[in-house]
Amino acid sequence: MAGEGDSEPEKSFKLLGFLDVKNVPCARESVLYGSVGSLVVGLGHFLATSKYLHLLHLPVCLFVKIKSFIFSVSPCRVRRSCDFAVGGFICTMLGYWFYCRYNLAQQRIRQRMLKEGMRNKMLFEGSSFDPEKNQTGNERSNS
Amino acid sequence: MANHSQLGFQDASSPIMEELIEFHDHALMVALAICSLVLYLLTLMLLEKLSSNTVDAQEVELIWTILPAIVLILLALPSLQILYMMDEIDEPDLTLKAIGHQWYWSYEYTDFKDLSFDSYMIPTTDLPQGHFRLLEVDHRIVIPMESPIRIIITADDVLHSWAVPTLGVKTDAIPGRLNQTSFITTRPGVFYGQCSEICGANHSFMPIVVESTPLKHFEAWSSLLSS
Repeated sequence: MAGEGDSEPEKSFKLLGFLDVKNVPCARESVLYGSVGSLVVGLGHFLATSKYLHLLHLPVCLFVKIKSFIFSVSPCRVRRSCDFAVGGFICTMLGYWFYCRYNLAQQRIRQRMLKEGMRNKMLFEGSSFDPEKNQTGNERSNS
Repeated sequence: MANHSQLGFQDASSPIMEELIEFHDHALMVALAICSLVLYLLTLMLLEKLSSNTVDAQEVELIWTILPAIVLILLALPSLQILYMMDEIDEPDLTLKAIGHQWYWSYEYTDFKDLSFDSYMIPTTDLPQGHFRLLEVDHRIVIPMESPIRIIITADDVLHSWAVPTLGVKTDAIPGRLNQTSFITTRPGVFYGQCSEICGANHSFMPIVVESTPLKHFEAWSSLLSS
């Protein structure tokens, strides 16, 4: 509950008006990785389908290379590369999202187990249920 | 409780609400992916010339059958997981009955002693300084924290609904029927809710306040109430 004197709540940034990328765990990274993925896939497809791909391997000056690429551009190739870019964005974003949420879920489970373990430690300390007491007892019997 | 102009969920105070918030985030991410795709397709259609040459579209029909099926599976699996999680009933430490009336709630703790009381909203004219308008009640429900609580909800007259957003609980109170739900509060605090089924003129003025306290304080409170 917000009380008086609390600092102003962190402002949110909502992508497309509904996804709060600042406050939702893994959202910001997913969108950023998705953007990078879309650039890589789109640009990669564009370069891979270039007629003048062989020029990349020659020691030709940069200006000639760029000029060649520009004149080899066809609208169909650009459109196809954009399609790949959007597909790359969606796949990378969702792929990282699942990976990050899976790790987050595992971390939360570990936190709960730790919390439960700490509570049980305090509860059972000194009693017959204390695992440390049983462990110490075993060490004494082994020595 | 919610802050002014708050649109999103309140912070979770129970494990179920935490799971619901996670699922909501997951659903929004899937929605973002779909919206991006739809926006891109719309842009393409606006930029390209219309063509009537299409006679066959097997590939695209395959895609727009399989892709929505995958999306539905991505959404359905976590949703069903939470649905079954909500139906799990651990051995509850306490059973509480909530009965909806026009226009107040009454609660009964009958596990160990017969404790019952009514919970009326405090009118704004009688509200102490700094308290929350239309949310405070004269008698709060007090429950022990980190203990599974079972609550049985019914109504005396018309339909009501017992809802506390931060606990992820909303259950209809139906006359002649007992609805059961359970929850665990993960932290101490005071949690507010409001009646969520239209029930007459003062439907907006029968709030619910749950106070979660450590067990010894709960025991002290129940002793005080029973004396």
